[in-house]
Amino acid sequence: MKILIVEDEQALRQNMLSYLSEDNNVCEACTDLAGAVYKLSCYNYDFVLLDIGLPDGEGFEVLNYLRKEMRSEAVIIISARNSLDDRLKGLNIGADDYLVKPFHLAELKARIFAVFRRRAGNNNNLLVFNEITIDLNGRNVLINGNEIILTRKEYDMLLYFIANKGKVVSKTAIAEHLWGDEMDMHDNFDFLYSHVKNLRKKLLDAQATEYLKSIYGIGYKFTDK
Amino acid sequence: MKLTSHYNKVSILITVSVLLTGAVIYYFAISSIASGMLDEHLSEEVSELISFVNVEQKLPAASNFDDDQTEFLKSINRHTPTRFFDTIYHVPQKIGYKAGRAVEGELFLKGDSYKFVIIISREGAEGLVQVITTITLLLAVVLLGILFLANRYFINGLWQPFYSILNQLKAFDITRSGNYGRAKTAVNEFTELDGAVEAMVERAQNEYENLKKFTEDASHEMMTPLAVIRSKLDTLIQDDTLQKEHLDQINDIYSATSKLSRLKHALLLLVKIEHNLVPDVEDIELDQLVADKMVQFQELMRAKDLVIDKNLSLKKIKTSKYLMDILLNNLFSNAIRHNINGGTISIWLNAQELKIQNTGSANQLDSSAIFNRFRKGRLSEGTGLGLTIAKNICALYNWNLGYEFTDGTHNFLIHF
Repeated sequence: MKILIVEDEQALRQNMLSYLSEDNNVCEACTDLAGAVYKLSCYNYDFVLLDIGLPDGEGFEVLNYLRKEMRSEAVIIISARNSLDDRLKGLNIGADDYLVKPFHLAELKARIFAVFRRRAGNNNNLLVFNEITIDLNGRNVLINGNEIILTRKEYDMLLYFIANKGKVVSKTAIAEHLWGDEMDMHDNFDFLYSHVKNLRKKLLDAQATEYLKSIYGIGYKFTDK
Repeated sequence: MKLTSHYNKVSILITVSVLLTGAVIYYFAISSIASGMLDEHLSEEVSELISFVNVEQKLPAASNFDDDQTEFLKSINRHTPTRFFDTIYHVPQKIGYKAGRAVEGELFLKGDSYKFVIIISREGAEGLVQVITTITLLLAVVLLGILFLANRYFINGLWQPFYSILNQLKAFDITRSGNYGRAKTAVNEFTELDGAVEAMVERAQNEYENLKKFTEDASHEMMTPLAVIRSKLDTLIQDDTLQKEHLDQINDIYSATSKLSRLKHALLLLVKIEHNLVPDVEDIELDQLVADKMVQFQELMRAKDLVIDKNLSLKKIKTSKYLMDILLNNLFSNAIRHNINGGTISIWLNAQELKIQNTGSANQLDSSAIFNRFRKGRLSEGTGLGLTIAKNICALYNWNLGYEFTDGTHNFLIHF
């Protein structure tokens, strides 16, 4: 995948770049509106990660440019502003998703993954990770061809892990992804542990390899290495 | 007392006293003029009488006709100076007495001195005075009436711009950016006041907008560094060589950034509620919403082995679903978070109230302080804004959120 990151904050840009530059992804970055439009006029990308508050204008301009040129890049807006108006405006003029700062890199990756899957549509609705096959339309999970029954939370968690495969994902990030902001339980992760425990047990019971590793105190890593 | 009443009082007082003084002066002036005329008339009669006596060398017959009376008395050794005076006299033709003007004096006939008295009626003059008094009184009454009406309608009308400005000031709400409607007036003072108020309103609104923008911008600006910290941590934990101690530290930094982010959300939400900037209200079946919330929270309750007891009856309310969600989230997560393992949560809902009861610490909370900002338990990891937000949401819809401590349980009650 070719990803263009438009973000003026150097440190954040750097981290996004290094976090996403794996799995055959090619990432490029620029810092302002003019740079973004220039890059988009020269190259095609699969994804644009777009900050709204840029030094030389609002990121919405990039969306307008893409729409005018009838381009097919998927766009995820990354904004410090969590206002409904901005969100609606962004989504109305062609953004695929809207992510509010401060976000977890794992969340960003899961969103990219989800948008990518959604865009692929019916042509490619099977997600395969070694012996695990997920039918994204039917929300079914097959291990070696045998279906296992997962709860909604376990299913979401599995997708989240696969989107961030090979990465250590913090439990804060997982909890935020699964429960959102509104049910904030303030660093009480007991409920998270039981979900992870159940998911791991179901996968192991169906003879899957143990991919899910606990990283002491901090979170989990889903990896086949 | 209204300004017009004050003005009325003063102007009527002045008018009445001027009119009264005028009437008194007028009365005396007319009376003296009338007396002067009568006296002139009497003087003529006296000179006629004297010339008659001088020519005829005899006294005329004492006349007693009409309203005029002339009398003669022989006065011996007594000098009577000529004088004019008011008197009351008897008219034989009519029953009763009449007011008259008289002159008495002395005349000499054949060496004898006589005192004469001539009385003429002053009825005419009295009538004149009466007519003039009546007209004056009538004028006074009419003047007072006109003054009163003028004050009432004209002056009130004159003050209309003032009231229009005052009403706009009373209804002024800095959070609502409505335009100030200028009062239509030709009065310089009011035009000036109007201009001053308009300028003030504009300035206040600008200041407020700036402040709001600043608060919003500032809290947003803080999010980017926070995003940097988070992304650094997310990258940092990918390092396999990190030790247990490092990870513990990183965990604490994660917690702190989450807390900051939550704090910002809570503060912005408070601002939104206070300024009523919330999405539209809709009809909500509260019992359904509460039941949904309990499903949403069930895993958290299970993690603490809480026993749930619910008693929900149908209740429909008109409110913002968004705020209601937040309100229930805050109350439920409090009831869970501050509960003991194996404790209970009881929820009652009826048409009048929603009550959430939970077991927890054995000590009563300070019910006057728990709804204050940044008031929280020593061990709480929350923002300290949850109950403040809940209270403000309730206040927005005129509900009463209260706290009671009974039999070792903490009760939060919303009275609709």
